[in-house]
Amino acid sequence: MHQVPLSTTLLFALLLVAMILSLALEEKIHAKKSVIAGVFAALTLFLAVALGLVHPETVQILGLPIELPLYIPGVDWEVIAIILGSSIFVDVTSKSGLFTWIAIKLTKASKGDPLILLCLYGVMTVVFSAVLNNVTAMIIVGALSGVSLGRLGQSRKLLGFLVIEGLLTNVGGLLTLVSSVPNIIVGSAAGISFLDFFIKSSPYVVVATALTLWMGARIFGIERLETAEAKAEATELVAGFDENDGIESPGFFWFGTIMTGLFIATIASASVLPVIDELGLGYVALTFAVIALLRYKATADRFYQGIDWDLLGFFGCLFIVINMMEHAQVLELIGEGLAPILALGDLAGPGTLLVAAAAASSVTDNIPLAAMLAKILGGLDLAADSPYWWSVVFGANLGGNLTPIGSASTLVAVTIIHKNQLPLSFAGFVKLAIPFALAQLALAVVYVLLVLS
Amino acid sequence: MTKLDTFESVFKAADKPVFSYQPLAIGRVLLVTDLSQAEADSFLGRVREFLGAIDRAETHWSAAPGAAFGDISQLLDLVEAEHPDLIVTYRHLHSNAWNWPFSLGEHLDVLTQATSTPVLVLPHPDAKRALPHSIRNTDRVMAITDHLAGESRLVNTTLAFTRPGGTCWLTHVESAPIFERYMASISRIPAIETEVARETIEAQLLKEPHDFIRSCRAVIEAEGLQVKIEEIVTMGHRLNEYEQLIQEHKVDLLVLYTKDEGQLAMHGLAYPLAVELRQIPLLLL
Repeated sequence: MHQVPLSTTLLFALLLVAMILSLALEEKIHAKKSVIAGVFAALTLFLAVALGLVHPETVQILGLPIELPLYIPGVDWEVIAIILGSSIFVDVTSKSGLFTWIAIKLTKASKGDPLILLCLYGVMTVVFSAVLNNVTAMIIVGALSGVSLGRLGQSRKLLGFLVIEGLLTNVGGLLTLVSSVPNIIVGSAAGISFLDFFIKSSPYVVVATALTLWMGARIFGIERLETAEAKAEATELVAGFDENDGIESPGFFWFGTIMTGLFIATIASASVLPVIDELGLGYVALTFAVIALLRYKATADRFYQGIDWDLLGFFGCLFIVINMMEHAQVLELIGEGLAPILALGDLAGPGTLLVAAAAASSVTDNIPLAAMLAKILGGLDLAADSPYWWSVVFGANLGGNLTPIGSASTLVAVTIIHKNQLPLSFAGFVKLAIPFALAQLALAVVYVLLVLS
Repeated sequence: MTKLDTFESVFKAADKPVFSYQPLAIGRVLLVTDLSQAEADSFLGRVREFLGAIDRAETHWSAAPGAAFGDISQLLDLVEAEHPDLIVTYRHLHSNAWNWPFSLGEHLDVLTQATSTPVLVLPHPDAKRALPHSIRNTDRVMAITDHLAGESRLVNTTLAFTRPGGTCWLTHVESAPIFERYMASISRIPAIETEVARETIEAQLLKEPHDFIRSCRAVIEAEGLQVKIEEIVTMGHRLNEYEQLIQEHKVDLLVLYTKDEGQLAMHGLAYPLAVELRQIPLLLL
């Protein structure tokens, strides 16, 4: 890499800090993530070319010389393809009524007992976060919690349920390689397979879920029903839920169920399936999206309207910014800053990185953080099983539980809380969430150091 | 519509009222008339035959002649003293206003609202307006309402008054004029697609009573009751709709709610129905 003047590196570092701050203050400045990242992408590209850091190059792709625009090579298209394909696939299959069917079945299985309901909803939040995405999982479980607790006359427990569910979305986001964007970015950079990721993360997710539910039940006073009359009444109340109401047609329901199972199985085995291992997870996600869209082939365009273009635009622009930061040697500078942490050794190093990543992602978006750290760690030639990768994964995911703005799903939890006229301020959320977040982080540090090191 | 609203709607739609079966026990029946004691006793025999579905060995039947009460206050005292589970009477007691079918008569007006006891209103003995099949038996009983979902009491009462082997109609007529008035407003709101709103709102309004009737059927079948359940869930002009249904199905008894917790008078639909549907007996709850 060519020599870059320190002043140029510092200028770009300043722009990076400005972007991260702007993203943290997204709500205050009333600007979408994609617009914020887009402004900085345009600015850094312009400066990089003007200052001679990058030049258009002709590259050989599949044996053909192609001149790529400067904003193309920096984007991780695999990540974009996974997010785009998964979101369309989940959107279509959720229309089959599968996820609402599961949610209502579990509600009825609880027989209206608040503690059993909390445990079932907690597990459902974790599984849905892993299979769908954190935000959709929070929306489904949060919406159901409001309706079912209202039906049971237990609305005073709703705040506790929503806070616990919000915190569990980020735990569930750790379960698989495709459960959250930081996992995809870090896993892709580290070369961790889906199965390996699942095997290593799932024990933590199980223990952290149980711990969160136990703490939640104690802190929010969620207990079992005591009398036979109360149990009978609650059973009768939840019996009114009809799990089949949201099913458009039995055929589509089974189509959605089988496709979801196949999707998970294919993603899980993509690294060992011939041909698929060369095409990658992005191909799998997009192909399943296309197959799912066959059900709505005449009206597929309405699903395109439902795509979170803000998120995709944000990713695209973010990758460009980080690419320019790499050229301006900002990442190298940050890497030097991280050197003392890495020098702490195999125990203190990953532990400190995990806590630092959690602290950073609690006040800003965990995606730029994960993308930046993945780039830096990628430059260190770490092995795929290095605990540093896991420190970033755990820190970036769990840091979101420290504040309501730390992750999109906790923000959704707070939105649902306010929609149900429950008073909860920023500080109020932090006060409620901090014991859980600290317990989860402490458990994560111990797990990474003792099990994954 | 946000995703949160979408899922909230899905779960709210899935949360359906379920029919809860509770057999009705009617221990005491009081017939209130403006007839002589002999005529009242004779009329009571006819009423008892008509209400065979609720007649048990332990049921106590009594008839109050016109001389038993001079004014409304005395009538209420009589009811309080007898504390019946069912009052049977007709419109325009101690009055010839039955010639002009524009009201219920002062006694019945007060009786239906001042007591919590169900009142069975028969066609006036002298008015000759009763349909030929009226006051014979209760083989064909119809529950009428504009809000059937969750109304277990209405259904339980209707079942209790239907003879074994008879037919019980559970009806829900959604007011078409009111619906059209809302649709006219919606058609002026650019943010709401009128046709989509019309289709989805109408479908949802009719789905709720339909789902409840399905739940009633399941419970009635499980309880082994010998009653056939018929469903009528529709949009229409309620009074016209019910007049047509009574004629079409030769209904023996109509069961409807009259009380409204928010007001002293009968609720909106009940009064015009009670005034105008004079051809057959009405059970006012």
